[in-house]
Amino acid sequence: MLLGEGKMGITIEKVSKNFGEYKAINNVYLEIPSGDFTALLGPSGSGKTTLLRMIAGLENLDSGRILFNDTDYTNKAVKERRVGFVFQHYALFKHMSVFDNIAFGLKVKPRHLRPSKEEIKEKVYDLLKFIQLEHLAERYPSQVSGGQKQRIALARALAVEPDVLLLDEPFGALDAKVRQELRHWLREIHEKLKITTIFVTHDQEEALEMADTIVVMNEGKVVQTGTPEEVYRRPVNEFVYRFLGRVNEVNGRYIRPHEVSLKRAPLGESFPAKVVHVHFIGSTVRIQLTRLDEDILFEAELNEEKYREIGPIAKGEFVYAQFTKLVDFDFQQKVKPLPQKESVL
Amino acid sequence: MNKIKSPYKINRLNFNFEAFRKGGLIGVALAFLALFIVVPLIAVFTEAFSKGAELYFASLMDPDARSAIKLTLLVAAIAVPLNTIFGVIAAYAIAKFQFKGKNFLITLIDIPFAVSPVIAGLVFVLLFGSQGFLGPFLEANNIKIVFAVPGLILATVFVTFPFVVRELIPVMQEQGTDEEQAGRILGANGWQMFFRITLPNIKWGLLYGIILCNARAMGEFGAVSVVSGHIRGLTNTIPLHVEILYNEYQFSAAFAVASILAMLAIVTLFLKSVVEWKTK
Amino acid sequence: MFKKKKRHHQVLPAFGLSMGYTLVYLSLIVLIPIAFLFIKAAAISWDDFWSIITDRRVLASFQLTFSTSFMAAFINAIFGTLIAWILAKYQFTGKKIVDAIVDLPFALPTAVAGIALTTLYAPNGWIGRFFEALGIKVAFTPLGIMIALIFIGLPFVVRSVQPVLQELDQQYEEAASTLGANSLQIFMKIILPTIFPAILTGFSLAFARALGEYGSVVFISGNMPLKTEIVPLLIVTKLEQFDYVGAAAVAAVMLVISFILLFLINFWQWRISKKYETV
Repeated sequence: MLLGEGKMGITIEKVSKNFGEYKAINNVYLEIPSGDFTALLGPSGSGKTTLLRMIAGLENLDSGRILFNDTDYTNKAVKERRVGFVFQHYALFKHMSVFDNIAFGLKVKPRHLRPSKEEIKEKVYDLLKFIQLEHLAERYPSQVSGGQKQRIALARALAVEPDVLLLDEPFGALDAKVRQELRHWLREIHEKLKITTIFVTHDQEEALEMADTIVVMNEGKVVQTGTPEEVYRRPVNEFVYRFLGRVNEVNGRYIRPHEVSLKRAPLGESFPAKVVHVHFIGSTVRIQLTRLDEDILFEAELNEEKYREIGPIAKGEFVYAQFTKLVDFDFQQKVKPLPQKESVL
Repeated sequence: MNKIKSPYKINRLNFNFEAFRKGGLIGVALAFLALFIVVPLIAVFTEAFSKGAELYFASLMDPDARSAIKLTLLVAAIAVPLNTIFGVIAAYAIAKFQFKGKNFLITLIDIPFAVSPVIAGLVFVLLFGSQGFLGPFLEANNIKIVFAVPGLILATVFVTFPFVVRELIPVMQEQGTDEEQAGRILGANGWQMFFRITLPNIKWGLLYGIILCNARAMGEFGAVSVVSGHIRGLTNTIPLHVEILYNEYQFSAAFAVASILAMLAIVTLFLKSVVEWKTK
Repeated sequence: MFKKKKRHHQVLPAFGLSMGYTLVYLSLIVLIPIAFLFIKAAAISWDDFWSIITDRRVLASFQLTFSTSFMAAFINAIFGTLIAWILAKYQFTGKKIVDAIVDLPFALPTAVAGIALTTLYAPNGWIGRFFEALGIKVAFTPLGIMIALIFIGLPFVVRSVQPVLQELDQQYEEAASTLGANSLQIFMKIILPTIFPAILTGFSLAFARALGEYGSVVFISGNMPLKTEIVPLLIVTKLEQFDYVGAAAVAAVMLVISFILLFLINFWQWRISKKYETV
């Protein structure tokens, strides 16, 4: 219904861009296969939004090329690129109704390509039905909720049948519950339309949950590309490891809180620790502890099952902790569990 | 696959078009400004010195010119403080409190902006002139308002009435009342709160309003023209003196005196820019 | 009216005092003097009033004042928007000076502007001689009046439109371009609808100011009855002939028109500020 072929892969070749002295994008190479759902993940200032805007043509390149299906698009005008772009704050036109917002891209087509009024109306209502907001057609952007704005912005982008869909922090401005719903919804849309989709996020959970491919960026460079499992299980360096989840640092080596095991009695290479605080976060329990031997603070996370096993833990209690999978990036680029004898203690 | 026309050509074309459009728009806008604003300003000074510097300074030292300057300073020295005090107090009442009819009150305050200066003068003539409502009473007590200095001051106060208050209302509204409330909770009395919190927060906006108010007070023509009676050396302000000289075909002298007002305008714009720069 | 809303407990002192002072001063300086003008006008019998304001000379001056004010405000709406555009969107050397110069008509006394423009546009003036060569007279014609009114009205449009253009988020233009709009379409469909209320406000302010303008016009107009006599000048002329009744009648009509404009502008701005508040 909505899209024709839309098979469009994107290649980013040795692209760089400086803002004055600052290297926003530093020699990035990236291939995004057709139909992929890609997350550009990184902290603020990592260049992810700049890269997305370059793909849309909203930002110029200092050097390098951007190819759409092997065709050089580097200097193609924005309006000729057939990209759908959803802005962080949606950029819905305030003076136009929801209907007119969605119809905009169709109405501004050159006359010989422009659909008739009836066709535009039909198409807009199809899209409104698709985003389940038919009843809001005559409303203005100021009269709809944040989540609805998001869906309208997406419908507006899809109306022109783009080859590529680009989303800049699409859920950043929404509250937690709506965000969760829209994540599922966007993923479903992608399953239906199979359109190449790239979205920018600084939320690792969002990227891990939604994307087929995660591109981790830092300081204008691509640090790692891979499936969510790859980047989570086999981070290439300390930055990726730290960025993708909570981390305990132990003398230059790392362990995730959920990999710390807690016991009531000493076992193997465990060490005693005092419970400083216990947080219940939904189904997981996060416990802050101090090592008694080294006076270092660290965190452990237990799922419900493990917590039940060990029994209720209160502030001030003493337990035994064990670091079994310390990761060391100085010795190797890939992560593998270190032999037990090398672990501290 | 790269068989598309060289993209660089398209790009250069686009770039040139953008630059061309920008240059064109800036050119047209600046030409308009030059023609309507800059050239008249230059003309004032050129005409002022057209008969030499000697005549220029002689025109300024003329007794009538000097009394006009004195009178203008006197009128501004009374009208500006009056409207400044009013502006601060009225803006405080309007911006810091919620009450019914606020928009209507602001519209009433705007009236002098909307009224022709000639009508502003006329209302005082109708009120205080010999044919006016209070005319017989004033004549009986030998008080002169119209065709005398008090009339000039009244007319000037009227036309410059909204300047300070209109500048302060948005500034005060933006400040909100949190700081004042915090001050009160910490034990400040009303005066302390006003002089230590409210007033320091609006000082640049206040200065801005005073600058504009003063420029208008010194330069007002229509309203004072109606109430002055054009009595040389007695009720002529600088703008009225310019008019008389001009109508007597003493063009160089008229422009010489006008150049004082033009310099006042330049100083006003400069101070205004400084204040804008300070508050950004 | 002007009573504090009771629902909110207010910590700040002196509402009564400051509001009282505001109302007294406003009444003494503005409201009472203006009320007396209406009382004076109301004392005229309807027939007399009608014959005063339908006098040929009066009607001619109203027509001249309105037509020249409208044309001047219209030209300012176009060029004022253009100037606001270059100040808000482009960087160029001397921009700060240009920005400051826009306010010159606010700061320069009208009489000075009047004699300067007259000298420039007189048949032998710097600019007037070029028009003279083309057979066009500027000074002492309605065209000259219009030029003076363009001068005094320009900053109103620029200062209304400029902040709106500055705050106009780039993302709306970007969104339109990703949807395939060209630059003309972006201007017509996205930018113009957004800044149009501001242009209209600027136009109305310039128009209202032009209707009452005296100082800058009186020198360049030539003041010929029926031809180049504007309403404020007609009022002055009537006063100088001690025709207080006639002056009051004409002034009352002008005042009513000014008030209507003022209320429309303020109401309009209030509506706009409401409209953009999100629900």
